[in-house]
Amino acid sequence: MASPIYKLTEEGRNYLQNGLPEAKLANSLKMPMDIDEAKGRIDSFGIALQWAKKKNWVKVEAGKLVLVKKPNSVPEHDALRKISEGKKVDEKMADILLKRKLVYVEKEDIVKRARKMVGKEIMNIPPELIKTGMWREVKIKPYNVEATGKKIYPGKRQPYKHFLSDVRQKLVELGFKEMSGPLIETEFWNFDALYQAQNHPSRDWTQTYTLKHPKQGKLPDNGVVSKVKASHETGWKTGSTGWGYKWDIKKASQLMPRAHTTACSARTLASLPDIPAKYFAISRCFRPDVIDATHGVEFNQMEGIVIDESLTFREMLGTLKMFAMEVGGAKKFRFYPDYYPFTEPSVQISVKHPEMGWIELAGAGIFRPELTEPLGVKEPVIAWGLGIDRLAMFRLNIEDIRELFSKNLNWLRNQRILI
Amino acid sequence: MPTVEVSHQDLCKLVGKNIPISKLREEGILFAKGEIDEAKGDLLKVDIKDTNRPDLWSTEGIARELKGRYASGGLPRYMTRKSDVVVKVDQKLKRIRPYTVCAVVKNLKIDEHSLSQLIQLQEKISITFGRNRKEIAIGVYDLNKIKPPIRFTTVKPDRIKFTPLEFKKALTPRQILKEHPKGREFGHLLEGVPEYPIFIDSVGEVLSIPPIINSEHTGKVTKETRDIFIECSGFDLKFLSPALNVIVSALVDRGGNIETVRVVYPERTIETPDLEPMKFEIDLDYLNRVSGLSLTMEKACRLLKKARYDAKPSGKKINVLYPAYRQDIMHQRDVIEDAIISYGYNNIEPVIPRLVTTGNQNPVETFSNKTSELLTGLGLQEILSYILTNKKHLFDNMNLKEKRVVEIENIVSANWSVFRSWLLPSLLEFLSRNKHVEYPQKIFEIGDVVNLDSSGETGTKDTRKIAVALTDNQIGYEEISSILDSLLRGIGINYKLRKILHPSFIKGRAAGILVNGREIGVIGEINPLVLERLELDKPVVAFEIELEKLMV
Repeated sequence: MASPIYKLTEEGRNYLQNGLPEAKLANSLKMPMDIDEAKGRIDSFGIALQWAKKKNWVKVEAGKLVLVKKPNSVPEHDALRKISEGKKVDEKMADILLKRKLVYVEKEDIVKRARKMVGKEIMNIPPELIKTGMWREVKIKPYNVEATGKKIYPGKRQPYKHFLSDVRQKLVELGFKEMSGPLIETEFWNFDALYQAQNHPSRDWTQTYTLKHPKQGKLPDNGVVSKVKASHETGWKTGSTGWGYKWDIKKASQLMPRAHTTACSARTLASLPDIPAKYFAISRCFRPDVIDATHGVEFNQMEGIVIDESLTFREMLGTLKMFAMEVGGAKKFRFYPDYYPFTEPSVQISVKHPEMGWIELAGAGIFRPELTEPLGVKEPVIAWGLGIDRLAMFRLNIEDIRELFSKNLNWLRNQRILI
Repeated sequence: MPTVEVSHQDLCKLVGKNIPISKLREEGILFAKGEIDEAKGDLLKVDIKDTNRPDLWSTEGIARELKGRYASGGLPRYMTRKSDVVVKVDQKLKRIRPYTVCAVVKNLKIDEHSLSQLIQLQEKISITFGRNRKEIAIGVYDLNKIKPPIRFTTVKPDRIKFTPLEFKKALTPRQILKEHPKGREFGHLLEGVPEYPIFIDSVGEVLSIPPIINSEHTGKVTKETRDIFIECSGFDLKFLSPALNVIVSALVDRGGNIETVRVVYPERTIETPDLEPMKFEIDLDYLNRVSGLSLTMEKACRLLKKARYDAKPSGKKINVLYPAYRQDIMHQRDVIEDAIISYGYNNIEPVIPRLVTTGNQNPVETFSNKTSELLTGLGLQEILSYILTNKKHLFDNMNLKEKRVVEIENIVSANWSVFRSWLLPSLLEFLSRNKHVEYPQKIFEIGDVVNLDSSGETGTKDTRKIAVALTDNQIGYEEISSILDSLLRGIGINYKLRKILHPSFIKGRAAGILVNGREIGVIGEINPLVLERLELDKPVVAFEIELEKLMV
């Protein structure tokens, strides 16, 4: 920036002509003088006394002004002269003069600056032209308005997470409460409480993860464990034969990464919710699958439960139909008999995709009494699960499940919004 | 779920009725809990959904269900006669492979369909239901090449030689485990046993070494075979009996005659197979309460008969009999589902439940969402990464000493072997994969980490965290601390920064983030040692905070 141009104020011009008041005061003191007398003789006495004292030219003794030493030079005066001659002064001095309001910084006249642009062709329109109205007298250069805008990358949500937020919102609108559970579970909540027998193939190590550490968790001590044990061994009071084997509490207390969201449902049932109740969970699950375009070792599952005395198989189909339409956006659907170890009867719903034909969307069932009754729930419980990862892949138009957790910044930056 | 290959023609022949593929696809196959995956000419690939119903995993089993619905239903009857075949089980098997159940089927007319189905069924049962031959191994033999009585005993691995299936030369059991493909595949099931189980006849002819391989001489069934001997061996009669019943029922559906075998154990003798139908009682009210179908007694019985039950009313109850190949029936529900399947899932009008409930999401999710909004408003791109990672990423790359974390035992890949204990390594790894993408790069993740916590029920604690990382040719502490400040002011949190030492950050450029005197996070410029290990070549500034500590 260019250094500012200073101009003298009226006071400044007065001091340049007549000398600074403090110098005048000091020069007029031949001998000690009464303050009141001095007041009468000197203009601007207050300022004069203040500065003369500051510069140690005079002092006050017993109501009288006494000269300490005569000023031999007055730098402010020299500076004022230089400025009046259009010469430069050092910044410190300029500051002092500014503070004493003896000079001011001259602003270039905006009219003058605006006038310089008149008749020219300009790119950006400066404020001077708008303020003075002189934009009327310049030529505004046209732009190539058909050129595509330069790419910028604003902050954005991760598309899959955004999709999951939307689904959560949808379920809340449908009256579902969200449930949760820990990522590391005991086998009890992941399997036993769901009436999956300890010697069932789906509990084999090839299908679920086991932990090196920690190994053992704690089981609830409110009687649920002994009822679950009885349910497995003899069917307890549920009217079932049970699986008919010796249930092992040690196996049940082993820890494992949660393998399905149904573990959250089991915990929720055991918490004895008020009925009617509708719950959902979207949660991360872990399985030792071979990793490829359709399988990951880590994925999300969405599941829900509906509890009420009035529920039958028909309401179960209705619940699935509602999801097919509300969440899956489907118009045509079909039901298939299905199997889950923890539901009976069980069903799968497939929906018609405009390009891909019939695709599996969700599964559901009525939880087995061997599951619900030991946890303390007498009413029928409809459980449904939805392949949320697959649904997201359709919606985001991706073919590889690993892209849901994309590490490609360009892809993330260029994703469009989902409607 | 098992996928079985079925010939359409063969299926229709067994049902006794021609059912076009389109009708099978839309209706018929559903009766067998199946879905047609693929149809190429006559060959259908059928997914059977039920992993607990091995009786459905063959053309014969599917045909049985279709016959019930399209032709004649009711309980399929299986008559048995006693054979003179005896199998003696040795006490020495106690700890090795203690149980077997056996059967003889005579007068078979084996064609290519029945042969391939027999092989397929045997395989599906031993893999899925038999947990890869551990619980159930099945052997089928030409009866006329065996001289009973048969002994099920043990043999020292080098004591005997026989020619295994599909081989030309005789080998010892030990050699078979090393050289035969099946020996290599299933040999681990005999690991650590001093002697191997063996089926051997009265003249010393070997039948098989279960659960590995049959003999080429006795254990090969061809189109010429008329009479067969079958054994299932394992550890629990509860699995073995239904497996045997499923196989013999399938063979009989094609016209064989079953004869029972006396299996003599040291403590008792049993006669197998036992194909006596089993009883169950169904309450009509309960059936209607579960199905919502308001069925009359007559209609309910008719639906059950279609599903191959015998059903007789008795007051408000229904006495049902079901075939011995079903081992899945534990509760009335299991029978009720079959009645609903007979009715047809797609013939039922769905009812959307009208229940008055209020919905809400977990407060931590709402808070995470709001926080994401603030961070995207600050120009940051959200990312999502796996919770599973490895120790190198968590510690070594971050210039940290290794500590105990939640660790997986049966890993699929070393890349995914532990649960992440903090979030920043995920962000730095992300940056390291995007070195050639336009700068500046500003990213964040809101996600869970898992740490050991012996006080908890699961020995672990999940924590929701926020992490932010910025990188550019020129970037410094000021940039990251102003993001942190905007975020925390936006949430309405008062905080202080206090200088700390953290090996992942540059000395003198790292601070702890304090809220109410408690450290809830760390902020700073990443140590160039870390950058080098991740092959990053631009400076990175970052912070990580516990999200739940901000929810006040």
